[in-house]
Amino acid sequence: MKHQRRVWTTLFVVFALVLAACGSDSTESTDAGTATTGAGSAEEVTLRVLAHQNPTFVAYMEDFNSRFQAANPGVTVAMTVVGQGDMASAINTRTSANDVDVIDFCAGSCSAFSNGILDYMGDNYGEKPVWQQLIEAGLLMDLTDEPFVANFDEIAIRDAGTFNDRVYALPMGRVTYSGMFVNNDLLAEVGVAIPATWSDLVSACEAIKDSGNECMTVGGGDTWPIFVGASGLLGSIFPDQAALAEGLWAGDIKWNEGKGLEAVEKFQVFSTEMLESGVTGLGHDEATARYAGGDVAFMPTGMWQAPNLESFEPTFDWTYVPFPGSDTVADNEYLWGKYDMSWMVAADTPHPDVAMAYLAALADTTEYQTYLDAVGFLPTQPTASLNSKLGDAVADLVPAYRVGLEQYWVSPSGAGQWADGRQAAAWFAPFNEWTDSTELANQIQADLDAGLSG
Amino acid sequence: MAIMQKNYLFGSAGKWRRLTPLMLLIPGVFLYLLIALGPSLATSVYSFTDASGLRGAAVNWIGLDNYREFLFEGLASRDNIDATLRTLRFSVLVTFIQFTLGLILALLLNQKLKGRTFFRTLFFIPVILGVVIQGLMWKLFLQPRGGPMATIFDWFGTQSEFLGGLPGQAFNWVIVVQIWANVGVTMVIFLAGMQTISEDLYEAARIDGADGWQLFKSITWPQLTPAINTNFLLNIIGSLQAWQLFLVLIGYKPGTQVLGYLVYAEGFGQGESPAFRQGFAAAASIVLFLLVLVIGFAANRYVSWREDRYMA
Repeated sequence: MKHQRRVWTTLFVVFALVLAACGSDSTESTDAGTATTGAGSAEEVTLRVLAHQNPTFVAYMEDFNSRFQAANPGVTVAMTVVGQGDMASAINTRTSANDVDVIDFCAGSCSAFSNGILDYMGDNYGEKPVWQQLIEAGLLMDLTDEPFVANFDEIAIRDAGTFNDRVYALPMGRVTYSGMFVNNDLLAEVGVAIPATWSDLVSACEAIKDSGNECMTVGGGDTWPIFVGASGLLGSIFPDQAALAEGLWAGDIKWNEGKGLEAVEKFQVFSTEMLESGVTGLGHDEATARYAGGDVAFMPTGMWQAPNLESFEPTFDWTYVPFPGSDTVADNEYLWGKYDMSWMVAADTPHPDVAMAYLAALADTTEYQTYLDAVGFLPTQPTASLNSKLGDAVADLVPAYRVGLEQYWVSPSGAGQWADGRQAAAWFAPFNEWTDSTELANQIQADLDAGLSG
Repeated sequence: MAIMQKNYLFGSAGKWRRLTPLMLLIPGVFLYLLIALGPSLATSVYSFTDASGLRGAAVNWIGLDNYREFLFEGLASRDNIDATLRTLRFSVLVTFIQFTLGLILALLLNQKLKGRTFFRTLFFIPVILGVVIQGLMWKLFLQPRGGPMATIFDWFGTQSEFLGGLPGQAFNWVIVVQIWANVGVTMVIFLAGMQTISEDLYEAARIDGADGWQLFKSITWPQLTPAINTNFLLNIIGSLQAWQLFLVLIGYKPGTQVLGYLVYAEGFGQGESPAFRQGFAAAASIVLFLLVLVIGFAANRYVSWREDRYMA
């Protein structure tokens, strides 16, 4: 009997340990209590930060974290860097597991508070965007009353950080993605001027290819750089992209008619005639490295690649201009873009004071200028300026900055996989199966109509 | 009898003797319920809700709406059904080719050849690499700008975009990588089966004048029945559930998704304007589960029949 009791006692202990392992983490509860002593106390605190992969941004963050830790003894910043494509799932799992304190919201197209549900969509949208889902689940901390929010533009906070009159995110900058980098040396060598119209661009590409060089490159292996590279082309044709999104939903604008068809036709020229062969194997950063080599004339992509371009080849002579998608010069003078990454705090962080101190440090006006100098975004703080070669290149164009379709577009529920026509540049051969622009335009419209009629 | 009772783990009392095996099963059953059956049942319940998967988010019961959307709503249903058919195509091709190739490799490496241990190791090495490593290796190998395969294509005056090109072409390359990554397991199972076959059988058959094909057909193939059945089932189920290589090699590209990837993409917000739709993803995974169940059940019946026929 004694032997039996020992065995049963052992079994009981094993079960108790298993159940205890499945229970809540009591250590964290204790931490939550002590974290209220705040940053700068001698209490040992580990602040868990989730950030997206971008070489210059990560380098800046590592430097900032070192300085933050030095200024806040006892605080250790544990930053996890995740590829942009995996950010959504990382945010989902880590916020749900209460395993993160500060979140760099760079999911999907890395755009703060974009793709919101608007009135004209009724209840025919597929799903609310991730940021809204996080807020409605109560997973994000309300930042409205934090003093550092006032460091930012009211408009930026309103458009890219506010939901139902409460602030949940700090938009850390705006970017334009509709322009293209220009290789000044190569253009001079071939004897071609910077193209101001679509026809100029087509002629320039022919001349450049005839000279044995390549016209354009993008990181086609990541797919999105293909259609983001062509977004300026779409902007030249549809200068009001909020109206374009609404028009597509209302059926007033169609991808297989008029300007919509013109855009799809030009996308095909862009994909099949302007881009160099083999870009399907280049990642976004690899394409920039290749471009820095000097054999390609243009790289249509976001301005965020300027710091990488400079670090890859500091002596490379480049400028950044709007993509000329129209034959009317005035249509080609806009820069289209988005609010980029933003900082959020997990509502259930056990260290709210440390997390707020971290955000306050990031939002500090002097620190923000350092950040801006490193990553090369357009500022969202009125006291900051873009002091860089890129800043000089786009200074005159900033007043013509507009938010692009990428930030407005939400596909209706039931729409097919081809419904988002702005991505059409990535669907032509060699990237996908389409070889006829009219056929693709019809398919895009059919896939969209299938959702709109639902 | 007295010795047996004394050595019995929980003593000699009759009721304990009866209860002990059941009690010993409890930890295993508990773990099975906790990490296998529980989540499976939860997934089927989830499939009738609009759950996002976020902690604290409202979860509403929406009945069969997710299934209706998956199968019938707009042209999105066309894409879902295409993904299902593509999954089947992937499974059939992978199962057939991997099974055949694994068998051929096992037959070759079961011979008394010089260096056979080296080649066994060589063919098995991909199995121990993670999916991400496998994917990265092949992405480099299939790099269209000067990669090794592009160079080989160039020798023959042709070129390809490989993984970044036409959906059908990219899909076929994933089949190649899937087979490369897993054929080692198939080969090892066949090898293990071959090594259990008595050499006496072959010797007797040779004395009777049997040639190589007859040896294979009349001895190896029937005697390999347990290994054949195991490989058949593993290949079918493994290929139906495969999706990670699609994520690593191709990403979210129209015309290439399989059902497993669709589940991941919907559940974890892949795409340009992501949203978390774990209720819908659960419904899609139930469709995948039914597919695996039906095909797995049919395959199981078939292998049982084979065992009865050859091993009785």
